[in-house]
Amino acid sequence: MNLFTDLIVAESYWSDLWAKIHQNLIHENRYMLLLNGLSVTLRVTFFAIIIGTVFGIVLALMKMSKSKVLSAISNLYITVIRGTPMVTQLLIIYFVVFASVNVSKIFVAIIAFGLNSSAYVAEIIRAGIQAVDRGQTEAGRSLGLSSRQTLFLIVMPQAVKNIFPAYVNEFIVLIKETAIVGYIALEDLTKAGDIIRSRTYEAFIPLLSVAFIYLIITSVLAKLCDIVERRLNRHDMR
Amino acid sequence: MICVKNLSKSFGNNTVLDNIDYTINKGEKIVIIGPSGSGKSTFLRCLNLLETPNMGEIWFKDQLITDPKCDIDKIRQKIGMVFQHFNLFPHLTVLENITLAPVKLKLMTKAQAEELAYQLLRRVGLEDKAKDYPAVLSGGQKQRIAIIRALALNPEVMLFDEPTSALDPEMVGEVLEVIKELAIAGMTMVIVTHEMGFAREVGTKILFMDEGKILEEAPPAEFFSNPKHPRLIEFLSKVL
Repeated sequence: MNLFTDLIVAESYWSDLWAKIHQNLIHENRYMLLLNGLSVTLRVTFFAIIIGTVFGIVLALMKMSKSKVLSAISNLYITVIRGTPMVTQLLIIYFVVFASVNVSKIFVAIIAFGLNSSAYVAEIIRAGIQAVDRGQTEAGRSLGLSSRQTLFLIVMPQAVKNIFPAYVNEFIVLIKETAIVGYIALEDLTKAGDIIRSRTYEAFIPLLSVAFIYLIITSVLAKLCDIVERRLNRHDMR
Repeated sequence: MICVKNLSKSFGNNTVLDNIDYTINKGEKIVIIGPSGSGKSTFLRCLNLLETPNMGEIWFKDQLITDPKCDIDKIRQKIGMVFQHFNLFPHLTVLENITLAPVKLKLMTKAQAEELAYQLLRRVGLEDKAKDYPAVLSGGQKQRIAIIRALALNPEVMLFDEPTSALDPEMVGEVLEVIKELAIAGMTMVIVTHEMGFAREVGTKILFMDEGKILEEAPPAEFFSNPKHPRLIEFLSKVL
């Protein structure tokens, strides 16, 4: 008798859950909200990392250059970016920098995250290059190679190994950090989940779906990073 | 071949080289010994400008290499250097370690450089290691590779900065053997070392340095049997 009622309760629980999933994700094509949001999240991240990488390399070279002025400028920029919250930077770029210009929100987000990321990428690159043993540079120079040849033929190939994991990590951090673009009413993945919540008065399914999607993306990236890292280190195995 | 005049070098307030004058002639094998911190490695590193002197002149043949206008990269091709910690390039194979500089400096084609590399590898008995990466080699093997990497540029002088100090004792011999052969072949060399027996055997002249100065200079027999400076007598009584 007990077993029978348990089964009914269990079944009603599962059908309940299915109804909620249906209502939150499938009804009125709500999954499209999530997919469109995901597309925004990925686009912002992708273009931001490109800007961040290019600008980050420039900043790193400036910081390591012999010119005191260039290195001071780079230092100041990195200090300001790393010393202020991302949300604040996003709001400043949207409401101050682009206040009087009519540009798309996604463009604003890409610029804001690109500029932010460049400061972190610059530090990752600089640290990676400086972690290469000084003896490597000395050996290269003692063979008559120029400082440029030594940098690109000897130091950089080794620095890549130091840079790569931290760089991918920055990519992963950036994906998650773009979740704040809702502050300028851009409908990314997180915002999409929140929109569904406000329509269905149901928080559990939409928000956990959103979290799950982020988790899948970041896990795949971390796994890929692992594989590449092992390849990069294959000559160091004894 | 190398002429040093009034050379001084300091790091901050710490004077490491104090007004050194010295001339190294072609074919000489100069061995520099002295206590740690005596400035002997810094002196050696000044000779190819890995350290920039604060004062003084260094002439290589008829060129003033301490002149900022001098193309030091060109000069360094003629001055081979071997380091205490080998400094092989870990991301390149043994063969690539040897051929990188001659090829990139456009002194040889890749094929010529590889042929020379194999010739040199045979000379030190490591021909079978050509395709290996440095990580799988022993310390003695790494140092022998580092020596022939420098030789691939056909240098006129070789600088050795404590070439056996980072080696396990049983590997010291194989490296010294290579350096000895090079000495016999007539290479001009400057060697910083703690191996007294080796210094006596290979050196044509031994220098004793302490506190940034050359305190004594003599042929090996006289240097070891009849030291004059009190600091050298004290030093030798401790190490011999």
